[in-house]
Amino acid sequence: MSLRKTLISVAVGWLVLITLIHAWLNLHLFAARNATGTDQNKFRIGFLPVTCHLTCPVTDFINKQLYGESIFEPVRFNGWPELKEAYLAGYTPATFILAPMAMALREQGVPIKIVYLGHRDGSAVMVHKDSQIYRMEDLRGKRVAVPNRFSNQRLLIFRALKNAHMTIKDIELVEMPPPDMPAALYAKAVDAISSGEPFMGQTELDGYGRVLWLTKDVWPNFISCVLAVHEDMIKNHRDVVQRLVDGIAKSGKWIDKSMDHRMEAAQFVANNYYNQNPRLLSFVLSKPPDRVKYTNLTLRKPDFEEIEELGRESGILKGTAHFEDYTDASFVTDESAVQAYNWEPAKK
Amino acid sequence: MSATQAEAAVEPGSRASSRGNAAWLRNPDSRFWQTVRAVGMLALFFTVWGLAVRISHSDLFPTPGNVLRGIIELAQKGLLFKYIVASLFRVTWGFTLAVLIGVPVGLVLGWYSRLFQAFNPILQILRPISPIAWIPVAILWFGVSDAAPIFLIFLASVFPITVSAIAAVQNMQPVYLRAAQNFGLSRGELFRRVIFRASLPQIVTGIRIALGVAWLVVVAAEMIAVNSGLGYLIIDARNAGKRYDLVVAGMVMIGFIGLILDFLVRQLEKFDEVRWGYARR
Amino acid sequence: MNKELFAAISIRNISMRFPGKPPSEHIDVLENVTASVAHGEFVCLVGPSGCGKSTLLNIVAGFLDATSGKVLVEGEPVRGPDRRRIFVFQENGVFPWLNVRENVGFGLRMQKETERDRIIAHYIDMVGLRGFEDAYPRELSGGMRQRVEIARALAANPDIIYMDEPFGALDFLTRLKMRTDLVRIWQSEKKTILFVTHDIEEAIQLADRVLVMSPRPAMIQEVIDVALPRPRDLDSPGYLEKRDRIFRVMGMSLRVGEAAAA
Repeated sequence: MSLRKTLISVAVGWLVLITLIHAWLNLHLFAARNATGTDQNKFRIGFLPVTCHLTCPVTDFINKQLYGESIFEPVRFNGWPELKEAYLAGYTPATFILAPMAMALREQGVPIKIVYLGHRDGSAVMVHKDSQIYRMEDLRGKRVAVPNRFSNQRLLIFRALKNAHMTIKDIELVEMPPPDMPAALYAKAVDAISSGEPFMGQTELDGYGRVLWLTKDVWPNFISCVLAVHEDMIKNHRDVVQRLVDGIAKSGKWIDKSMDHRMEAAQFVANNYYNQNPRLLSFVLSKPPDRVKYTNLTLRKPDFEEIEELGRESGILKGTAHFEDYTDASFVTDESAVQAYNWEPAKK
Repeated sequence: MSATQAEAAVEPGSRASSRGNAAWLRNPDSRFWQTVRAVGMLALFFTVWGLAVRISHSDLFPTPGNVLRGIIELAQKGLLFKYIVASLFRVTWGFTLAVLIGVPVGLVLGWYSRLFQAFNPILQILRPISPIAWIPVAILWFGVSDAAPIFLIFLASVFPITVSAIAAVQNMQPVYLRAAQNFGLSRGELFRRVIFRASLPQIVTGIRIALGVAWLVVVAAEMIAVNSGLGYLIIDARNAGKRYDLVVAGMVMIGFIGLILDFLVRQLEKFDEVRWGYARR
Repeated sequence: MNKELFAAISIRNISMRFPGKPPSEHIDVLENVTASVAHGEFVCLVGPSGCGKSTLLNIVAGFLDATSGKVLVEGEPVRGPDRRRIFVFQENGVFPWLNVRENVGFGLRMQKETERDRIIAHYIDMVGLRGFEDAYPRELSGGMRQRVEIARALAANPDIIYMDEPFGALDFLTRLKMRTDLVRIWQSEKKTILFVTHDIEEAIQLADRVLVMSPRPAMIQEVIDVALPRPRDLDSPGYLEKRDRIFRVMGMSLRVGEAAAA
């Protein structure tokens, strides 16, 4: 056979074959169809596999258990940049996101509205257990890793430095993706790391990390990640946004109701959503129990004004957007009235 | 040993496989020994790797054994085949588009010098931009779907192909063109029967390079929230905590599939339509 | 002479000037060249290296435009290459991606398949390459490749064949053989041939008439009517006399090692 005939038959054959197999395996094209995306009830929400975003998979899971289907379609991203870009492209009309990042986007004119908080606390600064660093002052001249310029961890360090009468110039700040931080600490490539859980807890669990301080020690009830939606969603589908916020609020209450709930959440979230070791999530959710909290999540102006101020000082915010611009607190007016989901896992 | 067998042993490098028994054993360049050399080196490499990990007492870096167990775990979960298929799917389409677009564009730009003058600067500017830099654009244009990684893979592969095609046409022997024009070929016939055919060996070289690049870029391309593929496996394993065994397993599988792909493309060079360009005198 | 009226090729006052380095210093390669070739004639152009004989042939074939002058082929001015007049190159004219059969059949796309196969087989046979139909040029010797090119030219059934030192890259014995075969083929096909060579002996062995060109800027110095019967005897006095005449016209000595005549 000549080259041309061979090539065409092999090429076309392979194209068809690989497309069919891929469609069957990965796109479930031949499986039962379920409405996604375009269906009004199932918009997409973006999240990262971090403990801060726990309420997202928990809501999804419990809804499926109780009602057979979820309110939304959770989409997991592997990094902040992709999460942000998907939101900007309109792919995920709702998303969990860093509070300073949402505020910065608003300043740049992006129609984003924070509607609820994701959690309180849930951050830490870890050092190597063999290091001689025991206080903030010991960090002078050392290298500290944070996830992102817009991260709360960076702001927290700012605040901690201020409290210790130091400035940002006294330490060397580097940006690093959270999944790489444990290895960097282990190899002593950095002296201290700070990001959301479970990456901090991982270093403790594996025996080489030691807590320098937890968020609650520096800035109690600090807000970190928030739930944000596109302005058009609020305008056109207010009821859907309401259901989303209600669901997140109820999940928060459910998680904080008892340690059993937390352990259960650790299991099903780690296995089905985060692809992490359940032991790790259990550790982070329990030691200490107030490492991260999921209640008291209503939007309050003072919390955000503090972030605005710190953001201006540290150079990431211009200060042109204010609380009314980037939040919409009308979805949960009275948090004490929110009831936890009434769902108990089946006894094994 | 008979006389003929002794002869076969003495003749260096001769393909004595057709004469005498076990001549393939005696011929130092037979297929058997070629395979032994390659496999032996690989085995040595894996051994050194395993030893290095053990000696350094590294808690994080996996041994070849860990990696193998990781691969088996993936296979047991039914993910191995799914991921390989997903990555192959995206590379197939991205690469195919690169060939279908890159070859004609390259031939045209190589032939029409005014078009070349106009478009070449743009080409050279776009070429060095890493696919990772294009990720935000990909998400904006194609959303979070298979189309985005396919686009990135297309971008990475189209440039080697186009550049090879252009070079082939520009460096073509003028004698072929004169001879073809002598026979009164129309413009279309000239392109099909002469320009394309004369450029084919160089284009195949470009294709070989492009396929390597496409497969290399698959890790970056799958950083966009797709949920399958070997590149995704590596990125996800990083996020999952300490699963470096899966990270390296992903790398190993990408490497082996790359080897197979390169071998397949090299078979293209055996066809008569291409072989003339590589012939050794 | 009335030859002009019946000429297959009529070259009138062709001059060719190339830009030099720097472009202001041009190179005059051809100056006022006039000649003609009759139908069915075998004409050779000889001259020293670089005198522009290949340039002239390319102009006649339509690959180059002359600076001034006219070329008429079959009474029409030449506007470009034409499939009725096929050019045989010195080397590498054969397409390396096609085998012998496909090369020879290159100009035959118009024909029906059975007719095409017949023509191809006929000419492959004529140039003595039977059995090599499926071989590729890289597998053939230089002489065989030139045979393929000649077969390809003939198969297209042109009126005129231009040959640009086609045997120049071959060894001595092969050249002798090729000349014999070419004459044999020409006698049976009766094409008009315009043949460029630097080899004086070759010109006399092959041609009806030899046009001797001067060094640059070239013009036709002398036209020599060979008028010897074929097959030509390389020892005959007639042959030697013509050969010596050309040598003298070109200012060459017959004794190797002697200084050139003024």
